[in-house]
Amino acid sequence: MRRKIAYPLATLGMVASSLTVASSPALAHGYVSSPPSRQALCAAGTVSGCGAIQFEPQSVEAPKGSKQCNGGNAAFPELNDESRNWPATTVGKSATFNWVLTARHRTATWVYYVDGTAVATFDDKNAIPAASVSHTVDLSKFSGRKTVLAVWNIGDTAAAFYNCVDVNIGGSGSTTPTTAPTTTAPTKAPTTSPTTAPTTAPATTAPATTAPTTTATAAPTGTAPASGTEWAPGVAYQAGDKVTFGGVTYQCRQAHKSIRSWEPSVWTLALWLPL
Amino acid sequence: MKRRHVAALVLAAAPFLLGACGTAADKAPVPAATAVQTQNVKNVSEITAGKTFNDNDVMFLQMLIDNQRQGQEMAQIAAERAGRPEVADLAKAVQVTQADEIRLMEGWLTEWGKPTTLDERVSLHADHGGMPSTGKEEIASLKTVDEKRFETAFLNLFLAHQHNAVEFAQMELDKGGNELAKSFAERVKQSRTDQVQQMLKLLAG
Repeated sequence: MRRKIAYPLATLGMVASSLTVASSPALAHGYVSSPPSRQALCAAGTVSGCGAIQFEPQSVEAPKGSKQCNGGNAAFPELNDESRNWPATTVGKSATFNWVLTARHRTATWVYYVDGTAVATFDDKNAIPAASVSHTVDLSKFSGRKTVLAVWNIGDTAAAFYNCVDVNIGGSGSTTPTTAPTTTAPTKAPTTSPTTAPTTAPATTAPATTAPTTTATAAPTGTAPASGTEWAPGVAYQAGDKVTFGGVTYQCRQAHKSIRSWEPSVWTLALWLPL
Repeated sequence: MKRRHVAALVLAAAPFLLGACGTAADKAPVPAATAVQTQNVKNVSEITAGKTFNDNDVMFLQMLIDNQRQGQEMAQIAAERAGRPEVADLAKAVQVTQADEIRLMEGWLTEWGKPTTLDERVSLHADHGGMPSTGKEEIASLKTVDEKRFETAFLNLFLAHQHNAVEFAQMELDKGGNELAKSFAERVKQSRTDQVQQMLKLLAG
């Protein structure tokens, strides 16, 4: 089915020749999103000060055969920095690793290492990956804090993609990962899991007034909107909420958590109606 | 014609892939051009792009329209199937904002006398065999995946989809010629980068 979207050979040829000239070492294609890899923690803003990887977590590409978190890719030294106290996710005796693939490459193998030893290998036999890629890996031989190195070995190039996933093995026995609030995480890691889920749900019934007063910890995010306040990013607005922006009052038309570029303007009339 | 576009596009992508993202908009404000040119506009479809443009502008808009048409389908499925209201709300907000963006981009291409559709869907990584992150099969899989697995499947697929949009936007910022299209690319980069943050946090908890 997918093979029907065949690329004309002429196009491929041209592309290949132009790329040889440009020869780019860092191409972007995939990473482990949950339990979060170090690059996923950086891209989520859970860990800050990560450098360029924050904007392209899918780019940790390097020649096959490395055992380093950055695969030896010098552009991303932060990923190897153990002094950062990377937050570890609590997992059970096994864990399911989920991948985000920004390009679907023919795949040789997916390999998971603990303490330098391969604990699981999934052989794709040079096939194009399925829509959703996840692997359940038995970790019952280990316990406590470990760093799992997850490697995607590409089938038709010399490259692989590297991820370090910090886990705390032997929690509840469930495979569902939950963010561990234990470690002395660098920034605001512990706030993520407990706060977000419960807060927004009750807000739907009582938009502005009885909105739950969230944590005092998370600085830029999470505070409930009071009607008529200035628009801010990171706020869960409900339909009907009013904000001011640039001296104009707007009413929210579609519930959303605000982000950059979603401030009220002519570009976002679908979210904000000027009053 | 199309083929030349593709080649130019991949060349254009190279600087970005070399790591030009280090300077990516961290907390950069919306570009001034956006505010100036839209002051008296009441509807997004009234925003015109002007006469100056190059092949990269055209390719960027065509690729992003294609990306967002797929995005509409994926968001619609998520609005119906997501278990958590945060996930459904994100999907719906993406759907309504990107519907306006599609109208805007189609307007600009029409203004320039260019087609609003892609001849073929090509990955920026086609040079070494990379298929695009999202195709018909991938979208269809969201309709059939187990309910318990739905949010994980959707978020992972849509993360890749929005990462792709950031890649297109960066390419436009590097090589585009039309100022308003570049200013729009900056908005796309910001909004998708922040959506990625939300989605990764939703996956974690």
